[in-house]
Amino acid sequence: MSCEPLILLEGVNKRYDGAKALADASFSVAEGEVHALIGENGAGKSTLSKIIAGAVIPDSASVRWRGEPVRIESPIAAQHLGIGIVFQELDLFPNLSIAENIVIGNVRMERRQWVNRKELGAFCQTYLEQAGLSESPWTRVRDLPIAHMQLVAIARALSFEARLILMDEPTSSLPDDAVERLFALIRRLRAGGVSIVYVSHKMKEIFEIADRITVLRDGATIGTRTASETNIDEIIAMMVGRELAAEYGAPADAYRETILSAQNITTRKLRNVSFELHRGEILGVAGLVGAGRSELGAALFGLDRIVSGSFRLEGSEIRPHSPSAAIGLGIGLLPEDRKLQGLMMQMSVLENSTMAVLGRLQRWGFLSRRKEAGLSAPVHRGMSLKAASNGAPVSSLSGGNQQKVLLAKWLLTDPRVLFLDDPTRGIDIGAKRDIYRIVRELAGQGKGILFVSSELPELLQCCHRILVMRDGHNMGIVDARAATQEQIMTLATSEVTAA
Amino acid sequence: MSRLRKLKSVLGLAGIILVAILASPQASDGSNIFLQAGNLTDVLRQMSVIGIIALAMTYVILTAGIDLSVGSILAFATCVTGMIVTRPAAPGGRFTQAALAVGIAMAASALLGAANGAVISVFRIQPFIVTLASMIGVRGLAKWLTRNENIDIGFGSDAAASFANFVNQKAVVVGTFAALAVIFWIILDRTVFGRYVRAIGDNEKAGRYSGLPIRSVKIAVYTLSGLLTGIAGVIYAAENHQGNPNAGIAYELDAIAAVVIGGTSLMGGSGSIAGTIVGTLIIGVLTNILRLRNVDSNVEMMVKAVIIVLAVAIQKNEKAE
Repeated sequence: MSCEPLILLEGVNKRYDGAKALADASFSVAEGEVHALIGENGAGKSTLSKIIAGAVIPDSASVRWRGEPVRIESPIAAQHLGIGIVFQELDLFPNLSIAENIVIGNVRMERRQWVNRKELGAFCQTYLEQAGLSESPWTRVRDLPIAHMQLVAIARALSFEARLILMDEPTSSLPDDAVERLFALIRRLRAGGVSIVYVSHKMKEIFEIADRITVLRDGATIGTRTASETNIDEIIAMMVGRELAAEYGAPADAYRETILSAQNITTRKLRNVSFELHRGEILGVAGLVGAGRSELGAALFGLDRIVSGSFRLEGSEIRPHSPSAAIGLGIGLLPEDRKLQGLMMQMSVLENSTMAVLGRLQRWGFLSRRKEAGLSAPVHRGMSLKAASNGAPVSSLSGGNQQKVLLAKWLLTDPRVLFLDDPTRGIDIGAKRDIYRIVRELAGQGKGILFVSSELPELLQCCHRILVMRDGHNMGIVDARAATQEQIMTLATSEVTAA
Repeated sequence: MSRLRKLKSVLGLAGIILVAILASPQASDGSNIFLQAGNLTDVLRQMSVIGIIALAMTYVILTAGIDLSVGSILAFATCVTGMIVTRPAAPGGRFTQAALAVGIAMAASALLGAANGAVISVFRIQPFIVTLASMIGVRGLAKWLTRNENIDIGFGSDAAASFANFVNQKAVVVGTFAALAVIFWIILDRTVFGRYVRAIGDNEKAGRYSGLPIRSVKIAVYTLSGLLTGIAGVIYAAENHQGNPNAGIAYELDAIAAVVIGGTSLMGGSGSIAGTIVGTLIIGVLTNILRLRNVDSNVEMMVKAVIIVLAVAIQKNEKAE
């Protein structure tokens, strides 16, 4: 490692819609090292790597490439510098061939107006060999297994002689043997002087492959450690070590009776998940992205087919095969992505909040506007919803108020069990507090609440117990009052033992 | 009527009417031909067929769909109407025969629409493709039924002709359009179904997560499109005194144009029946004034093209503000 870093970022700030994603973060990568970037969900890893890739423009930042100040204003600019990207959601063109995928956007090749097929094949062959891909360059990308798609992305980065390759969760969809081959490739690249930024939250992999580890938390850089001089416990402590906001107080005791029980639920993504939820209980669901938290909601809400196992609601077995069936049974689901799965953005606050209960507000198919306003008013008031008017489009609301509209939609259905998928993601602290209070009240009414969150302090504070997931498995249920963040994080990142 | 004021297309309509008044030729007594009662009601009658189709097309487009098959379904309906009314006197008299013709034409058209909707929602194929296919297939069906020939209803005093003469009255044509417009306005604005139509077009995924009956709403919307096209087909047959398997070519595009000029978004979720009525009137007035001025019909098409783009561009700009 030379003393001059290949890339050095300092004072990186980025806000999205007023919510900070990065606050004065810094990061540097030396030549020929594998540098892991780690942090909890929402810590700013993806934003930072997209800034390096030129896909996101920071609000302010000082960037030096080999000591020279530079601005990375577009993916093309990043490519000119020699930065290649292998994104989490593989950004390849599935209907084009491997060769076309490699040269598309490649400045060196696109200058030419005409492409000679033979020349193109030869050009790609070199990089395919380096990446360890044996397919013909004319194979269509969508016919490749996913592990090979990733190699195509790596070959693309190599083709414009990238000196720095960003890999965002590269192993999340790979089988074990492919992970081994990927690591071998990373080591070969490193030996050739290429630097790798490895974004992941899989501890074991990071310690296997990384030279140095930088931890992000809440958009700030907590520190950088040399992998051989630290251990998993120290890294976890750096990831979670935030002060608990202890102002909410513990939730009231739950009832003893079970409202919902899951027995060995197995779906496409879940493996033998069992748990019991009591009346009045808030059961937290912890785990990293991809651990199967949302999929648990999908199984309960009739979105995913249950392969084996069963749910029992107040003692009787239920098999919801669609969301409307689930709603009929008294199950509600506040989805993870409120814009994509929750809101009708062009419709009004009132229309959104009564969306799931219109059947009750009609006579002969005609809506009673009076009933509609009457039914929703107390609910809106109860959650201190701030909107210009009931008729204001929901798109004009802040994220927190939008989330309250969605929550109102479910409260109006008066569910027995409510699955809240990361309800406080990306909303301001005031709205968070309101949502904690509402969830508390719902539990107080005897409903069963499943509360998914990426923020451990929130779970520890709000919930009675916390179910920790990893790779679709239930890794254990801990008592929220006795557990620590470290304990949960250890469960969430530990190896799944064959059950 | 704050909702009307929000409609930017109303301004466009006012502008076009103003231009029409100014550009209108004078009659021999010095009056403005465009403003003559006879002419104004002609405008309404001429746009009624497209207007009726456009009402249901508005629903389809609100769900982020499209129905390209309406022109062919219209031709099919004219043929069914013609075939039934021209049959030698049926038992039950003229009235029954006419009622059967109208009823069967409407029901069969609605069924074709329902088939569109069923294929779209059950097999999840893009509406564009499904209705493109039925645009071709139903045109074939109409031609096959009539062996490629027009079915003349005639102008005599028999059952068929008197049916056509009755339906062809201005009051009946315009009255049908007006009544349907009111019904469709109310359904969209006041019913649960109308709310679902907009919700599904706005965000189908969120609709699924809210437990909305997406499949049945979609089937219903395409069924309505077929039904209204059937009604338009009956009127068309009466106006032209014939069942014509080649009728209604490119009508789907005129109907879509009316909807789009009225401010309904092809992306779904936003739009209104009021807008579609205004859009239809804009096209109607424009066509009328160009014809009063004896403008070449080919030039007419070019002018329409400009108006469509202009109307949508203006609405887009105002939205961005």
